[in-house]
Amino acid sequence: MNGKNLLDRMAFSKLYEAYAPMVYRRCVFLLKDDAEAKDMVQNVFLRIYERMDTLDFSQPSSLLWNTATRLCLNRIRDKKRRGLDVDSSELLLTIACAEEDDGIEARGLLAKIFSKEQESTRTIATLHYVDGMTLEETAETVGLSVSGVRKRLRTLQAKIKNLEVER
Amino acid sequence: MTSVNKISDFKLERYLLGELSEKEMRELRERELSDEIFAARVAEMRLQGKRFVAENPFVALEAKMAAAEQSANDEHKVVSIMWLKVAAALVIALGVFSMVLLNRNVETFDSKDAAMQVAMADVDDGTRIKGMQVSLEVWKKTGDSAVQMVNLGDAHEGDEIQLRYRVPQKCFGMLFSMDGNGTITMHMGEGNKAIELEPGKMTTLPFAYKLDNAPKFEKFFLLTSQNSFEIDGNDIDKSLKQAGVENVSFTLRKVGK
Repeated sequence: MNGKNLLDRMAFSKLYEAYAPMVYRRCVFLLKDDAEAKDMVQNVFLRIYERMDTLDFSQPSSLLWNTATRLCLNRIRDKKRRGLDVDSSELLLTIACAEEDDGIEARGLLAKIFSKEQESTRTIATLHYVDGMTLEETAETVGLSVSGVRKRLRTLQAKIKNLEVER
Repeated sequence: MTSVNKISDFKLERYLLGELSEKEMRELRERELSDEIFAARVAEMRLQGKRFVAENPFVALEAKMAAAEQSANDEHKVVSIMWLKVAAALVIALGVFSMVLLNRNVETFDSKDAAMQVAMADVDDGTRIKGMQVSLEVWKKTGDSAVQMVNLGDAHEGDEIQLRYRVPQKCFGMLFSMDGNGTITMHMGEGNKAIELEPGKMTTLPFAYKLDNAPKFEKFFLLTSQNSFEIDGNDIDKSLKQAGVENVSFTLRKVGK
């Protein structure tokens, strides 16, 4: 529904009050900056609000967790592109900045792989490799089947092997 | 003190939100009772959550939401006007094309004026049209075009509805709908207050409206009045019967897919 009424807003304020702390902690974990995380919390909820007519709210925690992850990865990538200091682990930085090498010779192995992958694969990889979620937890969070997530990760691993052979 | 087994941040968040399965909730509740480190972590997160919401209340976000909505409305308005201009130009071009190529007898009327009348029907300059009534039109989007719905016609879940209205003179108005679940959705208005409407032109709302799975019906109400007014979402009957408020309605019957 696009015409948002008072009830929509009231429901959204409840959603915010319940889930904002979770989104905030997620953003702090990925961005390592309190002020930036607070700003990002607003961006996450605005993004959800703008698209609430088309989103599935049956699992709001997954929806918000994934949106926060994706937006934070984009923020990390943008900061890196602008030459700003980014306080992130090497793995997270590589996943977030994979698109940076799109179209040019990718330097790192993971960057090469991720530069050809869908954006959702970056989220899956972050949840599984960075957050240490199990396949089941990752699948539940991104709304895919376990076999779907396994297939994506297997494809990634196969690509890594191929690249290793080529080197 | 007990050693902390690995538990993902997301699972912990869902524990705090009470969203885990009954079995998992029970396990973690028991762990919270027996594991001091885990209990301390959970307590800290609960406290931090309360502090965050207190320091960053929803009202701060609401201002940004309103600004985002306004910006989206403006964009839609620009696109709508652009499409109307394109449509007008096409009608004129088609009119000229058919008269020239098909060599029709055009001596009895001014072809240019006639084409303009058709073309400008929806893009007039806002002057009052004598005898015109308040009207509400409901259209269903179908791919790139749209079909006009009839009152009490059939509609389905997922149908994309576009609303249009016209008022004969300057007045206050609002447009909302009620579905078979009794849910009210405001399509035009400022919260629950009417807004000033410009007369004459057929105005298309900037947003399409997707019908959800509510059963039985979706009824649209266009309320107008010479004076400012508002509705009470909890008492629609009373709102419709307000003195000086005129009501035009349009009902779609919801049928299964």
